[in-house]
Amino acid sequence: MTPQLDLRNVTKRFGGVAAVDGVTFSIAKGEILGVIGPNGAGKTTLLNCISGVYRLDGGDIRWHGVSIAGLARLGVGRTFQIVKPFGSMTVRENVAVGALFGSDSERPPLRAAFDRADSVLELVGLRMKADLPVSALTIPDRKRLEVARAVATRPKLLLLDEVMAGLNNVEIDDALEMVRAVHETGVTVVLIEHVMRVIVGVCERVIVLDLGRTLADGQPDVVLRDERVIQAYLGERYARRLRGG
Amino acid sequence: MTTSQRWQRILIVLGCAVIAYAVLAPLTSLDGAQALNLPLLTDKLWFRLATITAMFVVMATAWNIIGGLTGYAAFGNVAFFGIGAYTTGMLIAKAKWPFLLALPLAPVAAAIFAVLVGLPLLRLRGHYFAVASLGVGVAVGELVQNLDYRGEPIFGGASGLFMPIFAVPNRDLYFFYLMLGAAGVSIAVTWAVIRSRFGYGLIAIRENEEAAAVIGVNTTAYKVAAFALAAALTGLAGGIFAQWNVFIDQENSFPIAYNVEMILMALLGGTGTVFGPAAGAVVLQLLIQFLSGSLPITLDLPFVPEDAMPVLAQVVLGVLLALVVIFAPRGVIDFFGGRSRLTVAYLRRSLRETSI
Repeated sequence: MTPQLDLRNVTKRFGGVAAVDGVTFSIAKGEILGVIGPNGAGKTTLLNCISGVYRLDGGDIRWHGVSIAGLARLGVGRTFQIVKPFGSMTVRENVAVGALFGSDSERPPLRAAFDRADSVLELVGLRMKADLPVSALTIPDRKRLEVARAVATRPKLLLLDEVMAGLNNVEIDDALEMVRAVHETGVTVVLIEHVMRVIVGVCERVIVLDLGRTLADGQPDVVLRDERVIQAYLGERYARRLRGG
Repeated sequence: MTTSQRWQRILIVLGCAVIAYAVLAPLTSLDGAQALNLPLLTDKLWFRLATITAMFVVMATAWNIIGGLTGYAAFGNVAFFGIGAYTTGMLIAKAKWPFLLALPLAPVAAAIFAVLVGLPLLRLRGHYFAVASLGVGVAVGELVQNLDYRGEPIFGGASGLFMPIFAVPNRDLYFFYLMLGAAGVSIAVTWAVIRSRFGYGLIAIRENEEAAAVIGVNTTAYKVAAFALAAALTGLAGGIFAQWNVFIDQENSFPIAYNVEMILMALLGGTGTVFGPAAGAVVLQLLIQFLSGSLPITLDLPFVPEDAMPVLAQVVLGVLLALVVIFAPRGVIDFFGGRSRLTVAYLRRSLRETSI
């Protein structure tokens, strides 16, 4: 079976630095995949390559077997690490705009888009705050809104860029619940995260990036015990301590 | 929106319609106005003023589509006005077309031009787009005046274009209503755009273009379409102006000052709203005319000689622009419809928003 998304040797350079350097992996439909890595590992750059913000310097990205440049209108939704809400709109309008656009094939009329916005807000737990201006939302709620707007575009694949960053433990639990709920609607999810706990809690498979390269790819418990991963992620000292203990 | 708010809006619209009728009904008969002894309404000057005001309502409302809704500060929209004027003017003066056949081509020509310059220019952001569009605005006027073919000016050159007078009874009234109709069309178009997928896409572009692109808004097509729509409406005003004024040249069809005035009007009234730019156009145009002494009511100021009044008008406009941008960034329309009240607290909040 052709994978939903297939990355082959994806490379992106900034000047002399290869931020993403020959990354190869594929995602099956309905999967929930975590991408982790230390700061500067190339996580967000990789996501920008997939969502078509950057042009590739090498390699190929295939959507259902077809090579494509930008995925935005083919059914790939994404969030931004630094949230980018439409500030002058209410929460409901933000999500409704997502529903109005999204994949080219099935753009609903205005009324239906607002109905869809309401059901998505229910899904991410923002139903009660639908009529508030974005400025009235807390940080965790803004991250929820970012996810809601992406979900509203009816994506087949959803790329979430550090939606848990800056949240406390309770907020992370709530957000995990939301990600599971979104995944259960049949969307393939790629979670880019810094927080280990998130990946272990929700992902079936994890890819570890370091300095633009794939370091490991597999089940979370196996990958997170891989010594190279511990070394890259937590530093050599911690790896030694683990070995010693 | 609650039911009471909806009713409030319906009542406001109805109220405006009643007031408009009360103001306009006497105009349909100059004799009636004279019989009622309303000196303003029988005055040719009043018609000129009212028509110019309606013309600025069109330009400010049209600018709002690209500047207010899409967030691209176009500083060269006067090019579309001039292109509209010259399209109608050339067709009437050189091709001998009747006015009503030539007029519909004014918005078409302006829109086509907007698509051609919009495709490259709308890739620029912020100040870069503003400066580049200003350049286009100036360049088109210069080209129209200076393009020659075998030693003959193509568009009439420095001596401009003359058209035969359009023969209708009550000519002043006719052109006033025509311009008023264009203003109505502009406002109706804005109203429809704001409630459409297109409008939501434009506002998404204004608020965050990258996020808009990622959710699937075709940003290039939307921006160019908004620019073309603004151009078409502005071109329509230019086309009406040409035949109304009978004579056009670079100076009256491409005045650089219009660029600033239409933006100031939209800012004053409230960008991104349906009626804001129109309200701003009426208030500011009356103020400009009043300060420059064109109104029957004049102001005698001590220490200011009469011939310095136009200069004073410019100074007052400049100060007004600065005050509006600093203290009422959402425009005066924000004070109507119960959203905000003009209080010291409002002014202080605005000052915090607009300053570092």
